[in-house]
Amino acid sequence: MTIKGGYCQKILEMDLSKNKKHVIEVSDNFAVKYVGGRGWGARIIWENLEQIKDPLSPSNIVVIAPGPLSGLYLPASGKTSFSSISPATGLYADSNMGGMFAVEIKQAGYDAIIIRGRAEKLSYLFIDDDCVELKSAKKYKGLGCTETERHLKEDLGDETLRIATIGPAGENLVKFSCINSEWSRNAGRTGMGAIFGSKNLKAIVIRGTKDLPVFDLTRLVELGEHAYKTLKSHRLFEFWQRQGLMTVVDYANAAGIMPTHNFKDTCFDDADKINGEVMETFYKIGDTACYACPMTCGNVNLVKEGKYAGTVTEGPEYETACMFGSNVGINDFAAVLRANYLCDEYGVDTISTGNLIAAVIEAYEKGILTLDELGGMALHWGDSDSIMELIRKIGKREGIGNVIAEGSYGLIKKWPAIKQLISQVKGLEQSSYDVRSAITMALSYGTSDIGGHHARAWTIAKELEVGSDWTLDEKAEIVIYQQTVRPLFDMLGVCRLPWVELGFSESAYAEFYSAATGIETGLEELLKRSEAVYNITRAINIKLGATIKDDFPSWRCFNEPIKTGPLAGKKLEMEEYTKILQLYYNKRGWNENGVPLPKTLDRLELTDIEI
Amino acid sequence: MRKLTVIPERCSGCRLCELACAINAFGVNNPKKAKLRVFSLYPHPVIKKPIVCNQCRIPKCSENCPTGAIYIEDGIVKIDEKTCVACQMCVTSCPFGAIFVHQEIAVPFKCELCGGNPKCVEVCPKKAILYTPEHILGQSMRLAGVLKYAHMKEVEYFEHGIVKKLRYADTEKSKNSGDNNDN
Repeated sequence: MTIKGGYCQKILEMDLSKNKKHVIEVSDNFAVKYVGGRGWGARIIWENLEQIKDPLSPSNIVVIAPGPLSGLYLPASGKTSFSSISPATGLYADSNMGGMFAVEIKQAGYDAIIIRGRAEKLSYLFIDDDCVELKSAKKYKGLGCTETERHLKEDLGDETLRIATIGPAGENLVKFSCINSEWSRNAGRTGMGAIFGSKNLKAIVIRGTKDLPVFDLTRLVELGEHAYKTLKSHRLFEFWQRQGLMTVVDYANAAGIMPTHNFKDTCFDDADKINGEVMETFYKIGDTACYACPMTCGNVNLVKEGKYAGTVTEGPEYETACMFGSNVGINDFAAVLRANYLCDEYGVDTISTGNLIAAVIEAYEKGILTLDELGGMALHWGDSDSIMELIRKIGKREGIGNVIAEGSYGLIKKWPAIKQLISQVKGLEQSSYDVRSAITMALSYGTSDIGGHHARAWTIAKELEVGSDWTLDEKAEIVIYQQTVRPLFDMLGVCRLPWVELGFSESAYAEFYSAATGIETGLEELLKRSEAVYNITRAINIKLGATIKDDFPSWRCFNEPIKTGPLAGKKLEMEEYTKILQLYYNKRGWNENGVPLPKTLDRLELTDIEI
Repeated sequence: MRKLTVIPERCSGCRLCELACAINAFGVNNPKKAKLRVFSLYPHPVIKKPIVCNQCRIPKCSENCPTGAIYIEDGIVKIDEKTCVACQMCVTSCPFGAIFVHQEIAVPFKCELCGGNPKCVEVCPKKAILYTPEHILGQSMRLAGVLKYAHMKEVEYFEHGIVKKLRYADTEKSKNSGDNNDN
């Protein structure tokens, strides 16, 4: 087995404390076994786990990794994964972003970048092919994400540089701050921005010029052309180009799974004021796309009138529209846009921020928090002014914002009574799907290795459609299959949306991989490697103290039935959830406490992993 | 003769054109070797514009070439690699910035329209790059000018139960002449 393309087989390791770079040669065996992206990230984190003390100390590391398919001639090949230990959850974390950054890393000749240590003062890392330099970022301190990017490009005199940056929230170690690139591409979840902040790393700037190695370019181009043709001929392609993920608003609301008023309700009366139709008719002024992608999910929107006039932002997509729309009771799309813009500029995750703000509003409504504790600013559903102010306070860590900035666990520590109001798993705030009507989705959130996020498995639509015919056994299986196939996209360094949204076949990716690397590989084999990575992240979490208790969705799912909408009356039963969780462990080859069994690790060729 | 024209407001900035161009021209997966570029200005203002060669009839690149390496063949501006000394005068004198260099490629390179079947046009998922007959160029500006003059308006009316549209010119002239036509 010899790698003949796809990989550069080099990792750039940068120790910020010593201001020293080191290039690691990657063996064929390592490259192929862990595939790339999140796979490499997880493995490298595992190997460094002993030395990592506190997530925000210099001992933590970040692995920034595109995948073997990143930058190649196939749809949406621009994904970069960031892996680390999360300051919000204290457990394994990864988050990925689209755009062009992945391509540039690979063109500079690296498959991944490992960041260690902490720079003496606020700095940015400039990678110009083989030349790597740490430069002062003093001038950019406190600047918003897009402002930083703009100033860096101006100062360095090159608009074609690719930049990943943090905003003030990352500098201030807000536990759900993100890494932003090209305006609105965010590695949003698990607090990657705070990790950059803790390392005094304001930004990474890259310029790469090298050819990407491809074993059989003719075959890859043929496969790519076929993929583009397939996507373009899909019946929903044109609609998708127009609205992107905003199409989900109407679906989720009609299905009764759209979190509303801090996950209390699942339908929003004013959903038709914050949906794709409204965006397209009144706000949209252009499209953006990630690298080599025909789907143009990114919607550039402008507020033309009213108090938020002049706000331009790329977004929102469904998650943001829900978290800053229905979930906080905002029914004005211009306000959603403004919140999206502020979050991007401060550099905080829209999902966590919207989720936590909603929890605080409900806590105030219920009397758990007093006006005093809120710093004298009353909070009400749909009160967009105070919600905008709260985003600012979180970004700057002022007053109540300073408490929210500590994330779910921080809020619960300060005000234990708020625990029942926060929808989170493992300390990561849940994203925008209510799970009370769909146990597979509850299991997806519960067993997601980074916490309450939908990226690992998104089974809710299928379960609502056909789920009543499924046995509990089949339900556990579908979650495991999704948790295996979806992370595979992150490992390959491509986006999963052509597969999720336009039904593009997942087996095509095995062909892409074979053409690029020269190693004939089937989908089954790739899925096995993805399963192995899921076991590594599980092992990391167990080492870091996670137990079966961390595999449950939030209190509300079991205790408060849905009140309104088509799924009224539904809630999860603890007994059934416990049952499906055990079934899930069993099928994964884990023991009753969710610890991978030695024979499972053997089967996945992970014999050196000891838990 | 046909030429590349671009509609910047359609461009999503996905750079598929660059990638397809580089693969077609040099046989490598490297958008930095493309013979056209998408220039994105991030963040504000929102501009993404494919930069393509206009195949000028009086090309500045050729005019400024000290060795006479740039010539026109069948309306296409070409660089003769043998005569070129890679001084890059053409790169800086092109008013559109449509000639490119790369450290691994000896001489500057530019679009030669792929032998009449431009790859960028074929792959663009937003139809932002068009391959247009020369006589059509400027048509949109002419149309805009005419519409501006005519203040075109549209009314809907019913005919045998079907909604139809009628466009008519709300010209200054008709207003001044005091015609009494209900608008």
